[in-house]
Amino acid sequence: MPTDAATEHTESEQQLEKVRELLLGKENSRITASIQKDARSIVAEVITEALHDRQQKDNSVNKVLQPFIEDSVKHSVAHNSEQMVSSLYPLVGSLVRKSVAAFLSDFMEKTNQLLENSLTIKGLKWRFKARQSGVSYAQYAASQTFVYRVEHVFLIHRETGLLLNAVALDNENKSDADIVSAMLTAINDFVGDSFLSAQEGPKEQLQSVSTDNFNLLIKPGPSALVVAAVSGNPPQSISNQLQLTLERIHSLYFDELNNFNGDNQHFDTADNILRDCLLSEEKIKPSHKKKIPWFAWSIVLLALCYTTYQTFDWVKSTQLHKKIMRLDSQPGVIIKQLKINQLDNIKLDILRDPDAVNITDWLNSNELQPSTFTIVERSYHSLDQKILQQRAQRIISAYPSISSTWQNNSLALAGTLDLIKTEQLINALAIAGLTQGENLTTAQLQLTSTEHIATSQQIKQQLFNQLIGRIASIQLNFSVASGDITAKMQRSLNRLYQYIKQLAPIADDLGIDFGLLIIGSSDNTGNKAANDILSMNRANNTADILLSKGIAKDKIYVVGLGQIDIVNISSTSRSVMFNVIYTNHH
Amino acid sequence: MIQKKICLLGASSVGKTSLVKRFVEGIFSEKYLTTIGVKIDKKTLSIANKEMNLLLWDMEGNDSYNVFQERYLRGAAGYIIVVDQTRASSLLEGIDIHTLARQVTNCPAILAINKSDLLATWHLDDSEHQAYQNIFDLEFLTSAKTGKNVEQMFSSLAELLLKCEKNDITT
Repeated sequence: MPTDAATEHTESEQQLEKVRELLLGKENSRITASIQKDARSIVAEVITEALHDRQQKDNSVNKVLQPFIEDSVKHSVAHNSEQMVSSLYPLVGSLVRKSVAAFLSDFMEKTNQLLENSLTIKGLKWRFKARQSGVSYAQYAASQTFVYRVEHVFLIHRETGLLLNAVALDNENKSDADIVSAMLTAINDFVGDSFLSAQEGPKEQLQSVSTDNFNLLIKPGPSALVVAAVSGNPPQSISNQLQLTLERIHSLYFDELNNFNGDNQHFDTADNILRDCLLSEEKIKPSHKKKIPWFAWSIVLLALCYTTYQTFDWVKSTQLHKKIMRLDSQPGVIIKQLKINQLDNIKLDILRDPDAVNITDWLNSNELQPSTFTIVERSYHSLDQKILQQRAQRIISAYPSISSTWQNNSLALAGTLDLIKTEQLINALAIAGLTQGENLTTAQLQLTSTEHIATSQQIKQQLFNQLIGRIASIQLNFSVASGDITAKMQRSLNRLYQYIKQLAPIADDLGIDFGLLIIGSSDNTGNKAANDILSMNRANNTADILLSKGIAKDKIYVVGLGQIDIVNISSTSRSVMFNVIYTNHH
Repeated sequence: MIQKKICLLGASSVGKTSLVKRFVEGIFSEKYLTTIGVKIDKKTLSIANKEMNLLLWDMEGNDSYNVFQERYLRGAAGYIIVVDQTRASSLLEGIDIHTLARQVTNCPAILAINKSDLLATWHLDDSEHQAYQNIFDLEFLTSAKTGKNVEQMFSSLAELLLKCEKNDITT
């Protein structure tokens, strides 16, 4: 029976199979076919959600998609670069701006740091100390600035000692990392084997290597080591972080580590995990730095005071200088040099006319302390109008009978005075800077009779000579081809008339007969005959004026010389000269 | 990048360091000379368009006073036994070292008969040759002085390592 039952069972199985085949087709072909027919819509229904779920689960979608995306981007860049460019274009501007801004701020920060570190006393001190201990300045600065700083992190394959990955703080100095890691493994092996106490059990492991400023922290795992090069004093937290990192790497790269054949490409992605170990902590600035730097401030304050004082002093002395220089505009005073050493030490070097204002008086009246001045005074003869007036006044005051008036900077004398005193007065005034015909008029001066004056023959002779000298010194200068008497000539002729008038009584007293020669001349341009006539005309015109003034005709002799052939004279000698001819009839 | 650890073994003064020196050409760095019995250098090769980094562990020469330091063989992808063709004893020592090394690792081994620029004082006869061919994967007559076969030896080793890798993967 049991066999029957078995056969029955087998039969029913076979029948069932047949039914199944009828329903589902061979190898489920009917179902597969019907599913295949709708596969597209079925998958389309759930593909997004499915991708999302799978990505959530194990991140594998990314990995699968990445090569496709990379390839298609590469393809696009190679074949449709135009399109790529135009679609990226709106991004590029802001990208560039962002990176430039980042670069600039980084640059500024670095420059600032550099300046701060190199220009301060602290910076110089660090530089000196860094040189002393034979490390680079940057390293020393880091060691001073940071309590600790992880400079490099290595991931090393334990079995081979080959470098799997390395990250550095400044992204440089990586070139030797593979040799360093091999060396470290060798050292580790050396230590492990050399100081082995018991043959069995786990081997001794190097945990850290320390120097003055540097620590190598080594975290050994079953298949890999994580090594951190730390400057400063690493705290426990680094060790913990290394341990965490090591564990993560072991769990993430379990297969890669066990099947490692020298290709470290698989470990490129460990970069970010290792970067977590690049920890650092800045030193808290010592509190005494916060203290107000009294010394520096007092220097600044002193400098400020000094500057203020100097400025004040400068302003004061400038004002003083200006004030003193007003003295220069005083008539008869010239400041040769003014030197203000200090406000109470002033050197004043001046020229002063004796008739000018007294310096001390002037200083007093201008609220200046004469005692603060060192005055070097030298006398000179000033021709300033005011001084001239004062001087003239002083001279004239000695002659009570003479009154004086100033008209257009010219002194006019009036009154009566005998001849000798007149001569003295005119001489004195001439020395004082007042010359007849220029700024002195004596036309209204009346001579008193000389008879009352007892004067010696000798003095009279001297006066006579002086007068004829003055007459001879008068010369009228004509313009080209002209014989006209100008106003200026009129004044000279007035003077001449005065002299003649003075001369007449003296000549009488001395028994001298005299006459006036009026000599005309011309330049050498043009016709000689015409020039003779021109010179004669000039002399005649002059004589006419003198005659009209009252000089007797029989006392005048007029002559025209024509051209005067003297070198340098002949071309300009358009003049009338005077001379007194005299004979003694005793 | 693919990296491989290669060890150089042999009796003292057979020219291991000189071979490395010749191979790394100038970037040989004295600063890694150590007192722990090994000196490490690096050379990047390009084999079949692949960059390969060879880390050369130059082991201190072994003689009767000096124990073979097997610990540095750990993880080696291959090793080179260097012998001196002017000293027959160096061959025997080399074979001894090879035997010791074989207890630790199974990686490819190469025999480098160095100082080929000098007159040889010994030769391998055919039977010996046969025997050594079986225990070494490759054999080179090198001269660190003239550079003969040096580059070739290292690149052959690198190729061999790549080939082994492929075989590993295919099997």
